[in-house]
Amino acid sequence: MDRHHVVAAVEAALGEVLERPVTGLTEDVRLFEDLHLDSTSVLEMLMALEDAIDISVDPESLDMDDFKSVGTLTDYVLTQQAPSGV
Amino acid sequence: MSGISRAPRSAEGLSSTKDLKEALTGDRAARFVWLCNFEVEHRWARAYTGIPAVRGSATAATVQRMEELGALLAEPGDHLLLDRPLDAHYRRYAERTGLGAPTELVTRAPAAEGGTAAAVLDSPELLDRLRALARDGAFLMPMGASDRERRITELTGLRSAVPDAAVYERVNSKIYSRRTAAELGLRTIPGFCCETAGQLRHALEEGLREGDPVIVKDAYGVSGRGLVVLDSRKKADQLLRMVDRRARKTGDDALHVVVEAFLPKRFDLNYQFTVDRHGGVRLDFVKEALTAGGVHLGHVMPADLTAAQRDELAEAAERLGKRLFADGFFGIVGVDALLGADDLVYPVLEINARLNMSSYQGRVTELFGRSDGAALAKHYPLRLSAPVGFPALAEALGPLAEPPRDRDGLVVTCFGTVNAQATAADDAPAPFDGRLYAVLFAADRAGLAALDRRVTTALSRFDTTERTP
Repeated sequence: MDRHHVVAAVEAALGEVLERPVTGLTEDVRLFEDLHLDSTSVLEMLMALEDAIDISVDPESLDMDDFKSVGTLTDYVLTQQAPSGV
Repeated sequence: MSGISRAPRSAEGLSSTKDLKEALTGDRAARFVWLCNFEVEHRWARAYTGIPAVRGSATAATVQRMEELGALLAEPGDHLLLDRPLDAHYRRYAERTGLGAPTELVTRAPAAEGGTAAAVLDSPELLDRLRALARDGAFLMPMGASDRERRITELTGLRSAVPDAAVYERVNSKIYSRRTAAELGLRTIPGFCCETAGQLRHALEEGLREGDPVIVKDAYGVSGRGLVVLDSRKKADQLLRMVDRRARKTGDDALHVVVEAFLPKRFDLNYQFTVDRHGGVRLDFVKEALTAGGVHLGHVMPADLTAAQRDELAEAAERLGKRLFADGFFGIVGVDALLGADDLVYPVLEINARLNMSSYQGRVTELFGRSDGAALAKHYPLRLSAPVGFPALAEALGPLAEPPRDRDGLVVTCFGTVNAQATAADDAPAPFDGRLYAVLFAADRAGLAALDRRVTTALSRFDTTERTP
């Protein structure tokens, strides 16, 4: 899955958790400060991402800094998708 | 505006903190060194696996500054440990309210992950200062105790005003809350205590059987973290998959969570009682709690309860207090509860045997609360593009920034949280979220609502985003 599709999946997951349409985000949009994602929703957000993309997420491998922006979360998802050894 | 004040007019006449000192030490004139160590809950949690969670916190800087709430709870003759000084303008404001402010004891460097307690331990000059206070008989009064606070007392000779760390850890588990409530025969929220992944699976199967959502909470959850709402079997399966994956990886399926149903409710409640050194229990207050999605937003007092409902809470406080004392605890206990849509009181959602948000409002409400008036404690979310100084904030509030003597108004109870999340000076400026903590006073609920709107409007020049419960 390319970066563009991951951003779209992040938008879809955000839309599900925030219960409102989320589209057209740029990568520098911050999840907490700009979109008002609540820290209690982080786990739910990861579950929604697992649903949208065929990856398995280990929340404890993430740091809150990975949730800083659309771009940092996209980076994390892309590393999870990379074949092992790459 | 109705209501004749019977409140004392100066800090010396206030009794709430003196009452606490007497309960904890037997001496109303005891000198306390306060440590409002919100981070202590992380310390209690460290040995107990909860639901999978991302490391770190998005609001750590704000929570760190909440230690300043202690400034108005402490008496002017007390000391307050901080990892950075109070804003000088805010301190003058606190003194102008008549509440006064304690002597600040500031750590050598700002706190890192271990919070102010760890920063105190890394401050040799400050430890010397505490040794001198210990020689004068002062007590360490933390929000709650862990091994770090115990170490401070060992290194300095300060007497502890609170029980040992092990007792705090034992009684602050949500599993302890549920089991204690059940053992005492108190009306409980339907739910389960889970200590293995298998028990969680069973609890979710049972809990979701009727199709209603459940909430899974860490036994040692910290405000705003360690909880997830599951409204479908699919989400439950996702959580269980994450939990099972972790258990396979670590070879340990131990888990410490509770699973609870949502009861239809009229409103949430928070009541506080104090258990003294001899096991005596005194109910301090009952407040209505404003929450959204499990996140605390504020308190209204008095709570809209019947006399019978109040009596039931008083009875619950007495029984819980006796049980906590039998388990080695004494001190302040806040209990989250709720009034169900069935008008029944559910007296234990969770026991927080430590200082609670509403504990910090004691002297403020004593000084400014009117005997038949109403008060609202809350925080105003601010959306800031640059740090705001206290003078600018006071100017925005206008007459509302004056101490509310015998009239509607507010007291700012924490200012440090306003700019806590500001970007560092050498980073590109970006908007950030601040919080202004305040207690509002009016004759009645309608007066509070009108005042709340005035404050929101006054703060709108800072682009306030109001968050309504």
